[in-house]
Amino acid sequence: MTTDAPTAARVSTAEKASWERIKEPAVYVRLISLVVVIGGWELMGLTGNIDPVTFSYPSAISVAFWDLIASGQMTAAAYESSQILVAGLLIAIPLGIVLGILMGRFRTFEYAVDTYVFALYATPVVALAFPIAMVLGVDFVGKTTIVVFFAIMPIIVNVYHGVRNVDLSLLEVTRSFCSTESQRWRDLIFPSVVPYLVAGLGLACGRALVGMVVAEFLMSISGLGALSQDYIGDLELDKGLAPVVLLMAVGIALTKVVNICETKFSSWRVRQES
Amino acid sequence: MSSSDNGTNPTLRLQGVGKWFGSLHVLDDIDIDVKTQEILTVLGPSGCGKTTLLRIVNGLILCERGEVSFKGELVDGPRPEMAMVFQNFGLFPWKRLDQNIGYALKIQGKEKGEIDRLVSHYTELVGLGGFEANYPAQLSGGMQQRAGLARALAAQPDVLLMDEPFGALDALTRETLQEELLRINEAEPKAMIFITHSIDEALLLGDRVLVMTPRPGRIRFQFETGFGRGRDLEELRGGKRFQALRHYLWEALRNPDEEPEPIPELIAE
Repeated sequence: MTTDAPTAARVSTAEKASWERIKEPAVYVRLISLVVVIGGWELMGLTGNIDPVTFSYPSAISVAFWDLIASGQMTAAAYESSQILVAGLLIAIPLGIVLGILMGRFRTFEYAVDTYVFALYATPVVALAFPIAMVLGVDFVGKTTIVVFFAIMPIIVNVYHGVRNVDLSLLEVTRSFCSTESQRWRDLIFPSVVPYLVAGLGLACGRALVGMVVAEFLMSISGLGALSQDYIGDLELDKGLAPVVLLMAVGIALTKVVNICETKFSSWRVRQES
Repeated sequence: MSSSDNGTNPTLRLQGVGKWFGSLHVLDDIDIDVKTQEILTVLGPSGCGKTTLLRIVNGLILCERGEVSFKGELVDGPRPEMAMVFQNFGLFPWKRLDQNIGYALKIQGKEKGEIDRLVSHYTELVGLGGFEANYPAQLSGGMQQRAGLARALAAQPDVLLMDEPFGALDALTRETLQEELLRINEAEPKAMIFITHSIDEALLLGDRVLVMTPRPGRIRFQFETGFGRGRDLEELRGGKRFQALRHYLWEALRNPDEEPEPIPELIAE
């Protein structure tokens, strides 16, 4: 019948091949990069070129890391920190989505709040720690609020842009087929926002971690932030950096989770290869 | 509603339709009747308001002057009896082909069994059987527009509105789809307004060809092609009448300011 029809089977093979081609070198490049950077750093430490009072090196940090876990300090601190991190994200994500959607869809709401949102987006949230502590206290509520302020901004801004960038020709398609407003959200607006939201969540997780440590440094000292600061104060840099390594690992893990979500939600975005 | 379905009364009627975008006069005094099962092709230079006209008929935008009525009812918004096929296909990239084709049915709140039945019928009719699980990005432009056509047909409209549907396709795909459209329309006849800027396409598909002037778009002239149904496009292209009409339209479009001569007497070949 057609001259313009590849077979269904051919489409899916092309798709698979393109994935493999992208994936494999990435693994090797990362491995080589890690070996060079971490190995070089370690070599500097082993040859006595790093002063243990001002800095440390990978094997010393690893030993300190296991010491802190064995003594139970690390897990206790991590448990404390995770409470404000999780609470902060649980508030920031839904609130950010709702605010972003309202801003993107309702002009009046946008004009009413956009000045504050974009002003806050450009403000270093650290500067807000003191007033927040004054109003909400220096404990759980105050710290969680700091995390929320750090994490919510990229979510609001990304969701807002996602809603605003809905494909106008598809909007016309929904109108042409007599879609109701709620059907339009389901068929068009939510799916178009997902990629923006996922990107926003990735940024939000990273900023939430920073917010968590900032809160633990600046308010009532606690958790991983306190653990790190205490040891750095005692000039035990290896133990002081061990919690930082844990934060990095959590940061990478959260980013990975977000990436997996992204792949899951965008199976329709097929790389077209001929 | 269908008491007057004898093939002659207008399904669609445009009376004195005029449209402005701000101070820009886009359409002026358009009167059109489209009969049940008639294919009207609208031909005109770029920017003459062809697409605007179609959007007004669909109820997507309103006209400042005149009115559009469907079976005697005023069109003041989109209605399920009309379905549009869009130039850029308008498929949802995150929906599979079968979900895209069943889109209008889902909007109308049809039962799942009914949707499945109609989707599979129209998927086969446009020749996309076997591709139901693919996403639009996995398909060629021609296949995407087949899906766009199937989506419009599945809504079982009385009027199909075609907005340069084959304009974005290569010549070969375009000809294939023109033939398929006529085949499908013979199987399930509907009234159709088909916007195009291709003279050949207007003549091949239309029962009646309507030519518009440059902005503001007015009706310049119109005529019945007289080619009849069940036409063989290859044969048609080679015919004297087709060639003569083609030449006539060429001349008319090339000289938009000159009053066109009356259509030559070649109705009977």
